Amino acid sequence: MMSFWTRIKHLSPAARRREELEMREELESLTAIAGGRKELGNLTLAMEDARATWSWTWLESILGDVRYSLRTLLRQPAFAIVAVLSLALAIGANSAIFSFADALLLRPLPVENSSGLFDVTNTTPDNTLEGMSFPDFRDLRDHNRSFSGLTAYRLTTQAVASDPMAPAQIRFVSLVAGNFFSLLGVTPSAGRAFLPEEESIVGQPVAIVSRDFEEQNYAARGRSALGDTVRINGIPFTIVGVAPASFTGLDRFVAPSIYIPLGMSQRLAAAPMNPLEDRGNHILVVKGRLNSGASMKSAKAELANIGAELEREYAKTNRNRHMSIRTELQRRIDQAPQLLSMAKMLMGLVALILVIACSNVANLLLVRARARSREIAIRLSIGAGRGQLIRQLMIESLIVALAGAIIGLWIAYGGILALGMMSVPSDPPSVLGVELDWRVVEFSLLAALASCILFGLVPALQSSRTDFVTALKAGGEGPQAGGRRWALKWFGGRDLLVAGQVALAMVVLVAAGMFLQGFRDMLTMRPEFRTDHLISFDTAPAVLHYTPEQTQAFYRRLIDRARVMAGVANVALTEALPLSPGQTIVTVVPEGFEFPKGREKAVEFGAAVDAGFFHLLNIEIKSGRAFTDDDRAGSRRVAVVNEQFVKTYWPGQNPIGKRIRLDSATGPQAEVVGVAKTGHYLAVNEAPAPFVYLPYEQNPRSRMTLVVESVGDAAGLAKPLREMVRSIDPNVPVFNLRPVATLYESRVTDTWLNFFQMVGAMGLIGLALASTGLYGLIAYTVSRRVKDFGIRIAVGASRRDIIWLVVRRGLMLAAAGVLIGGALTAIAAPLLAAGFPGLGVSSSAVYVFVPLGLLMVSAMASYMPARRAAGMDPLQALRNE
Amino acid sequence: MDLLQGTLDMLVLRTLLTGSLHGYGIAKSIRSTSNEALAIEFGSLYPALKRLEAKGWIASKWEMSEHNRRAKFYRLTVAGRKHLVQEHSKWADFVDAVGRIMNPLSEVK
Repeated sequence: MMSFWTRIKHLSPAARRREELEMREELESLTAIAGGRKELGNLTLAMEDARATWSWTWLESILGDVRYSLRTLLRQPAFAIVAVLSLALAIGANSAIFSFADALLLRPLPVENSSGLFDVTNTTPDNTLEGMSFPDFRDLRDHNRSFSGLTAYRLTTQAVASDPMAPAQIRFVSLVAGNFFSLLGVTPSAGRAFLPEEESIVGQPVAIVSRDFEEQNYAARGRSALGDTVRINGIPFTIVGVAPASFTGLDRFVAPSIYIPLGMSQRLAAAPMNPLEDRGNHILVVKGRLNSGASMKSAKAELANIGAELEREYAKTNRNRHMSIRTELQRRIDQAPQLLSMAKMLMGLVALILVIACSNVANLLLVRARARSREIAIRLSIGAGRGQLIRQLMIESLIVALAGAIIGLWIAYGGILALGMMSVPSDPPSVLGVELDWRVVEFSLLAALASCILFGLVPALQSSRTDFVTALKAGGEGPQAGGRRWALKWFGGRDLLVAGQVALAMVVLVAAGMFLQGFRDMLTMRPEFRTDHLISFDTAPAVLHYTPEQTQAFYRRLIDRARVMAGVANVALTEALPLSPGQTIVTVVPEGFEFPKGREKAVEFGAAVDAGFFHLLNIEIKSGRAFTDDDRAGSRRVAVVNEQFVKTYWPGQNPIGKRIRLDSATGPQAEVVGVAKTGHYLAVNEAPAPFVYLPYEQNPRSRMTLVVESVGDAAGLAKPLREMVRSIDPNVPVFNLRPVATLYESRVTDTWLNFFQMVGAMGLIGLALASTGLYGLIAYTVSRRVKDFGIRIAVGASRRDIIWLVVRRGLMLAAAGVLIGGALTAIAAPLLAAGFPGLGVSSSAVYVFVPLGLLMVSAMASYMPARRAAGMDPLQALRNE
Repeated sequence: MDLLQGTLDMLVLRTLLTGSLHGYGIAKSIRSTSNEALAIEFGSLYPALKRLEAKGWIASKWEMSEHNRRAKFYRLTVAGRKHLVQEHSKWADFVDAVGRIMNPLSEVK
């Protein structure tokens, strides 16, 4: 122990100097006392041994190794740069993609013990992720034995004003059960959580606001949110707590601004009936923590029982309705299975890049180890231990790996900044929230370390086994006679590595090519609806407790006023614009369609639109007619479906005149009067989806989008439109006010451009790495065959012969790689295409251009060393030997 | 006579039990106490002193020697005394054990 501290103390050069001086002084005094040096013997050796007690020999020699390694690396900067950059690119891409996948899927909920929080849902044959009604939740909560706690919430958007004078804004408001915060283990950073009695309606309404909301609305104006009031749909709520900044709710991409008790549901909606007491109203997201004795399996069994009991007791509302439990990750995957395939594909591609990079560096190190065999032989012959040698070589690759990791993180950080900006302009804003976190840092360090061991150890072991006599004799060429077996083995290994790299690069490039193809199709794909000279906004007068009649009157006035505004050519009303993130759905039972067993209705995209909608957005009617002003309330109910709907439910039949029941098999009937062209509704890469248009007048909705055609610049209408709504009712919130072209670009171009850039960058990185690997190998081959080429030139070979000799070898390697890559791609491409319907269209052009491109780049990579080989002076080449 | 491994440390500690000494003094003391049988090389003694000092068993201080010269004097610390007691009993056990094996040497003769 003591000795350890002495040594630590002596790490400082000053302490060491002091010790040295004192030692010399002591020995001098002793020499004087003893009467001469002879008496004391060999003092130099004594001093050396004494120094060993306070020096850290191994540490010092490691520092020496580090210094030596740095010097060697700097002496061949090309090697160092290529190796470090290879790793940096791979680690950077991996970290960025990992962060992306993390934001999409993997990031745990911001609650205490997030892995212990399970998701409980209703399941129906149509939807495995149905919400739960409050009465069902209450029965489950009160009668289960599996859960130590269950809580429920409902994410809504409401009109929120922090100030009675300010116009209301649309914000995410989460209505939560009384035990929401305590079950999640989230403690408000100021104020308190809800009290159990606050779950019911009595008393002054209370709210907990998010940290962001507090900062924007209160802290910025020097007020404290606590005790202040916030108006939600005109109802004043007293703020009793502020949620911690780390808590952003339980849904990805959206963070609620305000949490209020679930008991406020009825007052908030100004509904005549309490929506919470309606067993058929499946609105709640339920989360629970299991008892210590329960497992997911036992909970699943109990949930099935409770679900079956409820189904028996409440046949009307609970028919075919069951209960299920799943983990948070499973919920996310079930919600958006395409996210999983996207994350998988991206991670697969970057993993390939990591493999290419590692084999690249391994190859470089192997080549270098061979080229350095003379240096190593010298070091061995003057007494360096093999262990020491291996250690030094390992340190060298460790330096390369760490430098790669550091630069890689820097690259990742840039990539993450770019990815973090991916968002949809909407009110309230939703963000992807990609951020670099410590798990990513750990991941890249691990990747660097693993690759260091991977590619550092093998060359280190190999070179330390060098037979140094032959190595010295053979000059820089490495062992010839004794090393032939080795040479053969490693030479073959390196060829394989390079061919493998080319193969993997081909897979990455074909994937990138497929995306490029799909992307170009998407860009050149004209929008299926008109986007120019259009501006739209959403409004929801229902948040102000308008009755349905008042709401309809409001929309009539809105349309009338908008139509006569200066600069307005035309207006239309729709429940949802195509490609806007807030698509709406309808439940339908198409006449004559046999549902599979257990199912009796279909949930499809659908929207209520007015008579002007099809014309204004230029949506083509393939047969029949669009809606007209005669499709009013009270007249015969009608519907327009798209071609995909016909294909799905009435294949080969004439849909005109067929009937659809709305909501359920006993719901109102609507007659199909027209067929619209199938478009894209939620995303440009979605598979063709059925769509049902219903006339607004027959199906009035509370939240609608007004689409306005402008005579001039669409954006110029934003302010007059906002003022026009204010003049009707200043409290009605206006949101998502933006030109339709902006929405289209953000949904189609920007998101996919980002995604494509990601995949494209990966393809280029793969290509760059593979061609560097090829170049390195060819350059090495050339340097080893200097003598051979010298003789060839001496006996009359032309420059072209030599160049061809070298390039041929490169091309053969590349061709082998392309063949392997082709086989790999044949396996990978269908997987890609399946994961991305509509986007990953594989085309023959990709299969022609990618191999050609690879061969060309390979030819170029081998041409450079070939020219050097051909340009050499034969005499000098021979003399060099 | 060569020393057994680790014995030198013990000899130094034992020598310092009677009072503080400088490096050369320790060498001389061991030589004279052993009736010149053990001639300790100063080259091995000096690093041993440094080692013992680093372990905290001895401490050093500049003092005036008998010839009025400045010299570094080493003395036993409390920890060193404890260590010496341990080493001594181990040594005694060792000598005892070796003695049992070696003693009836008459049989060879």
